[in-house]
Amino acid sequence: MIPTVSASGLSLRFGGTLALDDVSLRLGEGVTGLLGPNGAGKTTLLRVLATAVPADRGSFTVLGHDPGTTAGRLDVRRALGYLPQTPGFHQDFSAFEFVDYVAILKELTDRTARHREVRRVLEAVGLSDVRGKRIKRLSGGMRQRVALAAALVGDPGFLVLDEPTVGLDPEQRMRFRELIAQAGEGRTVLLSTHQTEDVAMLCHRVIVMDAGRIRFEGTPAELTERAAGRVWSSTERDPSARAGWRTGTGAFRNVGDPPEGADLLEPTLEDGYLLTLDARTAEVAA
Amino acid sequence: MSDDRHGSDGSETSGESPTTWHVPEDDLRAYVQGELAAPRLWSADTHLAACARCRQTLASVSDPVALDAGWERLDAELDAPRPGPVEWLLVRLGVADHTARLLTASPALRRSWLGSIGALLVMTVVAADAVRAGATPILFLALAPLLPLAGVAVSYGPGIDPTYEMAVVSPLHGFRLLMIRTVAVLTVCLGLNGLATLALPAYGLHALAWLLPALALTATGLALTSRLGPVLAPSLVAGGWVGLLAVARATTEPDATLAPFTAAGQGVSGAVAVLAAVLLYLARDRFDASRLPFTDFTDRNAA
Repeated sequence: MIPTVSASGLSLRFGGTLALDDVSLRLGEGVTGLLGPNGAGKTTLLRVLATAVPADRGSFTVLGHDPGTTAGRLDVRRALGYLPQTPGFHQDFSAFEFVDYVAILKELTDRTARHREVRRVLEAVGLSDVRGKRIKRLSGGMRQRVALAAALVGDPGFLVLDEPTVGLDPEQRMRFRELIAQAGEGRTVLLSTHQTEDVAMLCHRVIVMDAGRIRFEGTPAELTERAAGRVWSSTERDPSARAGWRTGTGAFRNVGDPPEGADLLEPTLEDGYLLTLDARTAEVAA
Repeated sequence: MSDDRHGSDGSETSGESPTTWHVPEDDLRAYVQGELAAPRLWSADTHLAACARCRQTLASVSDPVALDAGWERLDAELDAPRPGPVEWLLVRLGVADHTARLLTASPALRRSWLGSIGALLVMTVVAADAVRAGATPILFLALAPLLPLAGVAVSYGPGIDPTYEMAVVSPLHGFRLLMIRTVAVLTVCLGLNGLATLALPAYGLHALAWLLPALALTATGLALTSRLGPVLAPSLVAGGWVGLLAVARATTEPDATLAPFTAAGQGVSGAVAVLAAVLLYLARDRFDASRLPFTDFTDRNAA
């Protein structure tokens, strides 16, 4: 992998909480998923990489630009598309007006070229037909697509998406996944999500964060492999399991250290994720 | 735009709406070359969409490649939103169209906010006119400087500007955006305050004693915002202003003019405004790079 985004030793403290604790990572072209529970530091990491918040310690580069300098920060921002966790809108703007507004913030000052670009990104997210509609009249899924269109303005080389599929119904989520997959072609995308299915379907690499630290960095297959031989089926919940739940068949799916002779199951990405977090919990307990 | 016409019959033959005005050929040439500027560009867009004759003329003044580009531009422009009256006026006055869009997107220029300010001023003016005590309309002079301060405060910052988080990571310098919005809010608020002043003719020039304090409070609020954040800074400045007036009231004879509204007080306000503006300029990069106090990104769509 040729790294396009590299971070080294990023740390950031909010009040008494260490939101980022010595985070180092490397991202390449394509979609990288960022998994982690609430409070893991995912949004903080995304904000730091998007230059919304500077880190207390550490450094990073985006497409060769160092945001530690004024000129470098400007270059990073010119190469950036950012979809925040809760994108804010001027509700009275139409979809076109809002994306146009963001395009102005991105220094597209030539009106004709800017409008052409707005039209392009609205078409890319499938909103050409509702471009004149007020944002307050759009559904949640459409608003997310407007925000994604805004992030795509200027064809940024680094796209940061903070939980873009939250609150979407299954159909909208599927549509959004298609868009993110398209966006990942030829650019670096960092996608924060709670949904392991998002990662399984979209990402060529995955990072797991917890308590401000990176717990895993690799491919989805490698994360899944962590659970190989550690998922088994039983008719009752196995008390020795780290986690267990009844499935649709009535049998229990257990994750942890299986007893001898257990009926082993094919692991999933979610199993690998749970065990990765569980390993960290075990560390803390020890 | 000049009153250029193609013919004397004054009507179209394509079944479209009759029109007597047509886009001048010079404008059409500039149009196909992408050199026609707003608002003439908007007029040409709108007209070309409805006028077959001008489209024919456009073809005759263009080479084929440029014409294709022109059609593409027209296609894009037909999708574009028409500017509102304020934005249209700003462009007419020579403001660049992208700056006009940023100006009119200021949260403090929304109708609800302006309506509140207008209602507050009307009530204050009525009260000041009804309760004639002393040479100055104290209530009005106390309130008027706070309005631009509050207007600027609600135009910038997380939790207030819905697009703050997108704006802060955009290449547009945060200080420039702040200044654009400040100019918009100051223009509107000072204008409204000025109208309110005209409604108090009995006080003469004394009714204008809000102006320098307004500039001083706004500039001080902005200068402190770079260090204290967009909520605490204007709150402290507003509190300081109210406290100052309370102290002045307590230490001044009932019919005498309060110190901030005397000539000396006005001089101090002017000096504070200049000093704060200089400090604000020196701190301009903090609006672009600082962590505190700009990290309180909150859920702005919850409401």
